[in-house]
Amino acid sequence: MSEAGAVAAHDTHAAHHEELGFIRTYIFSTDHKMIGRQFLFMSLVMLVFGGLMAMMMRWELAWPESQVPFTQWIPEPYMYDGHMDPAFYNSLFTMHATLMIFFVVMPFMVGGFGNFLIPLMIGAGDMAFPTLNMISFWTAVPAAILILYSFFVPGGAAAGGWTMYVPLSAKAQYTGVDWGVNLWIISLIILGVSSLMGAINYITTVVNMRAPGMSWFRMPLMIWSLFVTAVLLLLALPVLTAALAMLLFDRTMGTSFFLPEGGGEPLLWQHMFWFFGHPEVYILVLPAMGVTSEILSTFSRKPIFGYRAMAFSMIGLAFLSWIVWGHHMFVSGMNPALGTAFMISTMVIAVPSAIKTFNWLGTLWGGDIHFTSPMLFALGFVSNFVIGGLSGIYMASTPVDIFIHDTYFIVAHFHYVVAGIIFGMFAALYYWFPKIFGRMMNETLGKIHFALTYIFFNGAFFPMHFLGVAGHMRRIYNPMQYEFLQPMQWWNVFITMSAFCLFVSQFVFIFNFFWSLVAGKKAERNPWQANTLEWTAPSPPGHGNFDVTPTVYRGPYEYSSPLVKEDWLPQDRRLGPEAAVAGHH
Amino acid sequence: MPRGAAVQQRIDYPTGQETPVPSFGGGPPPPSSLRPPVSNARLGMLMLIGAETMLFTGLTGAYVMFRLGSVAWPSAHLYLPVGVTWINTFVLLFSCYTMRGALKAVRADNQQGLVKRLSITGLLGTAFLSIQGYEWSQLIRDGLTISTGVYGATFYTLIGCHALHVFAAVIWLLVVIWLARRGKFSVHNRVGVEICGMYWYYVGALWIVLFTLVYLN
Amino acid sequence: MLRWLPEDVSPYGPGIDALFYFIYYITAAAFILVTVLMIWFLFKYRHQEGRRAVYSHGNTTLELVWTVIPALVFISLGFASRSKWDEIKIHIPDTDTVIQVTAKQFNWEIVYPGPDGKFNTEDDKQIDNDIHVPVGKPIRVILKSRDVIHGFFLPNLRFKQDAVPGREINAWFQANKPGKYEIPCSQLCGFGHSGMKGWLYVDGPEEYKKWYDAQWPQAATAQGPAAEAHS
Ligand code: HEA
Ligand code: HEA
Ligand code: CUA
Ligand SMILES: [Cu+2]
Repeated sequence: MSEAGAVAAHDTHAAHHEELGFIRTYIFSTDHKMIGRQFLFMSLVMLVFGGLMAMMMRWELAWPESQVPFTQWIPEPYMYDGHMDPAFYNSLFTMHATLMIFFVVMPFMVGGFGNFLIPLMIGAGDMAFPTLNMISFWTAVPAAILILYSFFVPGGAAAGGWTMYVPLSAKAQYTGVDWGVNLWIISLIILGVSSLMGAINYITTVVNMRAPGMSWFRMPLMIWSLFVTAVLLLLALPVLTAALAMLLFDRTMGTSFFLPEGGGEPLLWQHMFWFFGHPEVYILVLPAMGVTSEILSTFSRKPIFGYRAMAFSMIGLAFLSWIVWGHHMFVSGMNPALGTAFMISTMVIAVPSAIKTFNWLGTLWGGDIHFTSPMLFALGFVSNFVIGGLSGIYMASTPVDIFIHDTYFIVAHFHYVVAGIIFGMFAALYYWFPKIFGRMMNETLGKIHFALTYIFFNGAFFPMHFLGVAGHMRRIYNPMQYEFLQPMQWWNVFITMSAFCLFVSQFVFIFNFFWSLVAGKKAERNPWQANTLEWTAPSPPGHGNFDVTPTVYRGPYEYSSPLVKEDWLPQDRRLGPEAAVAGHH
Repeated sequence: MPRGAAVQQRIDYPTGQETPVPSFGGGPPPPSSLRPPVSNARLGMLMLIGAETMLFTGLTGAYVMFRLGSVAWPSAHLYLPVGVTWINTFVLLFSCYTMRGALKAVRADNQQGLVKRLSITGLLGTAFLSIQGYEWSQLIRDGLTISTGVYGATFYTLIGCHALHVFAAVIWLLVVIWLARRGKFSVHNRVGVEICGMYWYYVGALWIVLFTLVYLN
Repeated sequence: MLRWLPEDVSPYGPGIDALFYFIYYITAAAFILVTVLMIWFLFKYRHQEGRRAVYSHGNTTLELVWTVIPALVFISLGFASRSKWDEIKIHIPDTDTVIQVTAKQFNWEIVYPGPDGKFNTEDDKQIDNDIHVPVGKPIRVILKSRDVIHGFFLPNLRFKQDAVPGREINAWFQANKPGKYEIPCSQLCGFGHSGMKGWLYVDGPEEYKKWYDAQWPQAATAQGPAAEAHS
């Protein structure tokens, strides 16, 4: 493997896989790549549902109490011939958020790309526990079915917001939703178990199964991010499970953990939820940061700037994420003295994010930048993350949060960060599509998709800051009920228009995706001339992944190295003595 | 390809051909032993234990918060049967001891000793559950149910959650006993017993914490 | 962006708004810095035939700089915010005007203590969704809830506090300009959350007295509202 480009020349699937039946290959597969694809498809389907719910909400917000198009089929008491019931609006944003966070971003990034990439990028044949991996996916499926099914039980789906604050959600009479909330709880507990299995698998795999020479600080940052994410998942989800179980008991067994009339404490739920919830938001964003680091380095043809700082700042984020949860509770009635403490810790946690941002910029500096679709989406992610992160600083300041808490300023903040992750997801998909499906996606369509998505994303979410500054509350289905908001209503219309355009723009992607799946250009092994190990395997890799177990000689980002003529130097390429000498001068 | 085959393949390390470039430039792979210090199964088990600890941290946190926040705790005229529970604690501790014996047996390739000690452990675990079940039935008769204020709620949730873990551990142990009787374990193939043992110890250790917290003082 | 802020009539509002502006300038500067650098790099270092990227793994000094500077900015922000927060949420000024606001699905129950200044007495008066307060005086609010959590929000006074069932939360506000201001509920509280609102009437001295006398005619003949605290 000393010739340049030799990597791409191989085209044989060295691993002879015994024939597995259709079921073992596509459904109950234990192959990490197939499981990754399954998670990917599941989350794309859920993305469509979550997106459609967002569109219904947007229509309602722009033209309150009018008839929402295409919804006459939804029965009473949810929609009255297309006119939305307020309680149904609450169900919509609750389920929108639940789907997007737990069934789109998590399965896509952690379940999908985590599964697909971890063994490939560290040079392993599969996960440490392949069967556990399969079970993990097949536990997530019933969770997804349950959460969707909850729309069809009497009373409808949960309507307490994704934060499910108590006592609102602890008693059916308060929201009118009965089994909907129970199903929501059960679904999330099941999903928690699924994620737990995934996390155990990922950590074990990363710790134990790295190829020879793949030391910790030669791991791609994507692997670092997934590793840290897995640790967070492992430790954060059980706390949510405990809280969910308590809530379920309150609802079904007559306990009163959260009901003040029985001696319970409503704020306890908030503490437990956000103790999980803040690590959760980093679970969402870390993999996207990993993706961005890979892509920025590859397409700048330049080593990542400050590799160690990047890895350590992720570890720092993970540690700090445990002590900032109170910033969601500044005006909740929690002891105000705690507010100051949480403000300080929140300010501190912004520092590692700043490091990451500037290191990304440093990576661009002096590069040789190729504007491919994955690169554009990765840059889009950085841009969104910066906007979302900076708006986080406003709310971290306690006095300012008094005013903007529970307004659209918050909605703007978290869509820039969490919905901004969608850019990271697209970047990852465009980048690894050739490896996953063996075909290239169309670049022109990809760029069009980026341009439209970027423009309409900002059109949809930036004006939400203005609404928030004006005091526009979140979770209201009709802003026109408030005199002080009426002059702002045209912004809502503008946002809705942008959101619709955003939705329509995604058809470019859907077309590109399916068309490339069947008719895309066949991908070579290393179409982007990247360094990490997955690109030395066939596209798509066969069972067992690599022709021979790779040996790692260097870090993952040796682009434009003086040791070689070409501008990339794969991690597993063994250089002869001449090169070593050349590098000496 | 069997699982993990990739890392188990033997590879000759090249040494010294490359001059390390500062920072991450290159150089030979650092000598990494091919067998990881902690096996996959054990590491996975440790992770599970970590997650369980967080679950109990959540529940215990709630317990402590309610306890600190209330004047009368437990609740007026209610006393937990501490005496019986002391005995029960010893039962569980003793089961950890016999589990240790079982692990020693398998390390010494003593098949019969293994089955015997595992069985004793299982019996002790079952005894623990039965005594606790009896205790609960008494408590319920005395009027402490899960819906008796936050005390009942936290008590049954916390202790019940632990009991559920013991129950799961017993079931698991039964499977291990069944396998052991069929001679599936030996010095060379004992990871199944080892991780079951880890979990058993964990459940025992957890009980000490909960017992101290909930029953004593 | 900040021109959308609703009119502010409270004593601590200017402080909050000043912080808001302060953060706005900082973040705008950070945003411009990042964006300009990014676009500049993207343009300057775009792929061209024969270009080869700089082979660099980082620069420790630079990295230290951009760790320390944001850290300093954040810490100073923390300190700037702290005193304001204490003023609003911790140090509640002495005042003779106290009202009790109890939230329930989906109304605000306002209870006035009446001339004796004490709650749970004969002369308490409950009015739903309307708060009348005198202009320019600090008002102490005892915030409660009957059922679920609600959010007591006064956009024009930069005031917000959740009302939690099972707790009594003390808070205060003051309105420095007469007028009529909306009181939306800011915390999701059920299907009626949207539309749960009341009005805050800030009355000038005369008007307030007129309103007060209409509510408690028996006290009107005595000393009037000012007597409350001293009785
Ligand atoms: C991926 C998800 C994600 C991420 C990464 C973040 C990141 C941050 N978040 Fe966010 N947050 C959410 C998801 C996320 N958040 C969600 C979902 C909610 C709402 C939940 C709900 O109520 O439904 C929320 C709510 C939320 C609140 C509660 C608001 C309220 O309800 O009143 C607060 C308050 O402090 C906050 C703060 C922050 C801060 C300070 C950061 C920081 O980590 C950001 C740091 C980044 C930067 C600062 C940008 C880059 C840095 C520079 C360019 C350096 C230079 C900058 C300066 C010198 C200023 N967030
Ligand atoms: C990851 C998280 C995520 C994502 C991606 C989104 C995406 C969007 N959100 Fe969401 N939202 C939340 C998380 C998210 N949201 C959360 C946590 C809340 C708070 C809820 C609460 O208060 O409890 C919220 C609340 C929320 C509100 C506030 C409701 C209220 O308070 O009253 C609004 C209003 O405009 C909104 C709008 C949107 C819009 C227009 C999008 C758009 O970006 C959507 C665009 C996406 C699509 C149009 C899908 C397109 C489909 C594809 C690309 C699939 C392709 C498929 C194949 C190839 C098969 N959201
Ligand atoms: Cu009351 Cu919202
Ligand atoms: Cu947070």
